[in-house]
Amino acid sequence: MSTIAADTPAISIRGLRKVYRSGFWRRAHVGLDKLDLEVHRGEVFGFIGPNGAGKTTTIKILVGLHQATEGTVQLLGRSHRDPAARSRVGFLPERPYFYQHLTARELLRFYGELFEMDPGVLRRRSEALLERVDLTRFADVPLGSYSKGMLQRVGLAQTLIAEPELIILDEPTSGLDPLGRALVRDVILEERDAGRTVFFSSHVLHDVETMSDRVSILVRGKLQGVGTMDELLAGRTRHVELRLSAIPENMPDEAIFGELARRSGTTAVVTLPPDGVADALAWCAAFGVAVDQLTPVRASLESLLLDAVERETPVDAKRMGVLA
Amino acid sequence: MKRVFAVARNTLREAIRDKVLYSILFFGVLVLGMSLVTEEITIGDQAKVVRSIAQGAIDLFAAIIAMFLGISLVWKELDRKTVYTVLSKPLPRWQFVVGKYLGLMATLVVEVGILLALYCALMTMHQEFPPPVVFVSMGLLIAELALLTAFATLFSAASSPVTAAAFTLSVFVIGHLADDIWVFGNQAQSPAMREVARVLYWALPNFEVFSIREEAVHHMPIPWGRLGSALAYGATYTSAVLLGAVMVFERKDIQ
Repeated sequence: MSTIAADTPAISIRGLRKVYRSGFWRRAHVGLDKLDLEVHRGEVFGFIGPNGAGKTTTIKILVGLHQATEGTVQLLGRSHRDPAARSRVGFLPERPYFYQHLTARELLRFYGELFEMDPGVLRRRSEALLERVDLTRFADVPLGSYSKGMLQRVGLAQTLIAEPELIILDEPTSGLDPLGRALVRDVILEERDAGRTVFFSSHVLHDVETMSDRVSILVRGKLQGVGTMDELLAGRTRHVELRLSAIPENMPDEAIFGELARRSGTTAVVTLPPDGVADALAWCAAFGVAVDQLTPVRASLESLLLDAVERETPVDAKRMGVLA
Repeated sequence: MKRVFAVARNTLREAIRDKVLYSILFFGVLVLGMSLVTEEITIGDQAKVVRSIAQGAIDLFAAIIAMFLGISLVWKELDRKTVYTVLSKPLPRWQFVVGKYLGLMATLVVEVGILLALYCALMTMHQEFPPPVVFVSMGLLIAELALLTAFATLFSAASSPVTAAAFTLSVFVIGHLADDIWVFGNQAQSPAMREVARVLYWALPNFEVFSIREEAVHHMPIPWGRLGSALAYGATYTSAVLLGAVMVFERKDIQ
């Protein structure tokens, strides 16, 4: 196994384009449009976008399930067209399906053989992973009788079987119960702590916000932004929240400065635009109102995504009420 | 090659656990029962009639199973999306196709073996043990199934199961009529028709080259000359069709 320079990106995508042709007239549909993306080694990278944005298409190209129409993709410094590039990659598809006739132990052995792992190492690794995803008790039960959560756990185990340096997960928490989601989160963070790179797509924006070192937003096949949460949300303070007290009891609600969120006697919470803070403080001083707390409320990843979708949605589609 | 054998082993294991083999056993028992009934109503060489029915049944059932398994070979992987986690491993697609194919051939060898064992048991009941020509004819049946399965693999990699089934069945039927195309083509009045028949004869597979059923039923000597050419023909044609299947699958987007 060759060594990789430390500064080699885990994933490097340049000018990636995917055009699908469908129907009798082979009409073209652009799935990905000149996508450029770089994922650094050792980071957790969140990949978000609405349905149909091209997330799964990108992932399928990365792992060799789809052919790119144009562009270059490198995984850990090797072209993704070379099957050997996947020897250090673990992949968990959305809603994983496995051979129902196999048991979890047999499945891990089969996948390990595809990595040409040493039989002894494979056996030890399989047992450790079954233990890690809490499936040792069910290791010899055919997968056909597994629940969805159990299949996802087997999926995680097979993703990690060859100790991959790069882990690619497509919607890993989709449809899981809280315990399943917690397990996925733990695995992602533990792998990151072990120095591995994790690239995952998700609709669960809270997971993306809390786990990702960097995030990218994809809408209609185009990249809308990449960066850390701070970088993406910089300058996007939505409003400022003021917690007020000592408001004269006889002061009517409509006389209070800003947009009143709630009031209880002499205390209230108001929101205002970021540029209205100076006027609000002046008003407070004038009426003897105390400012207990001033909180800038930052835009969320959700608002960022919705704004990106809004920008990319054609006028006709907006008129028809279609977002993406 | 380790990966090819891993895929082949998994395919064989899937076929065995899918209980496909049990259907063969069922048909084997059916053939056995049918031949015993036939024996009761036959005048003359009863053993020969039993041999003829049993050989024909083995040929037919083995071909049906080969088509059935061959068509579902790649399609089932795509439909059940099991292929996602397999092809995302460092497994070149050609190794996946060849591995699946070899696994299926191993399944067919096991099935033909079971049918042959039943046949031997049946003939032993008639106080005769099959001569070597019977075993050679089974070997040629495997060669025929190898070609038929390669076609099924090609069609299932390229199209839907229904289309693949229609094409594979067509190839099977036409392949057994190849000699007739040659004979009738030569009798045609129009030179153009004769030429078309000649092109079809050479382009389409000829499954009759694998048949030494007459020799096996009548316990005639092994036709060594035909055996060599049939195996060479089968190996060449099967490799070419399998190569086509690999080329189709290499370019396929896995949905």
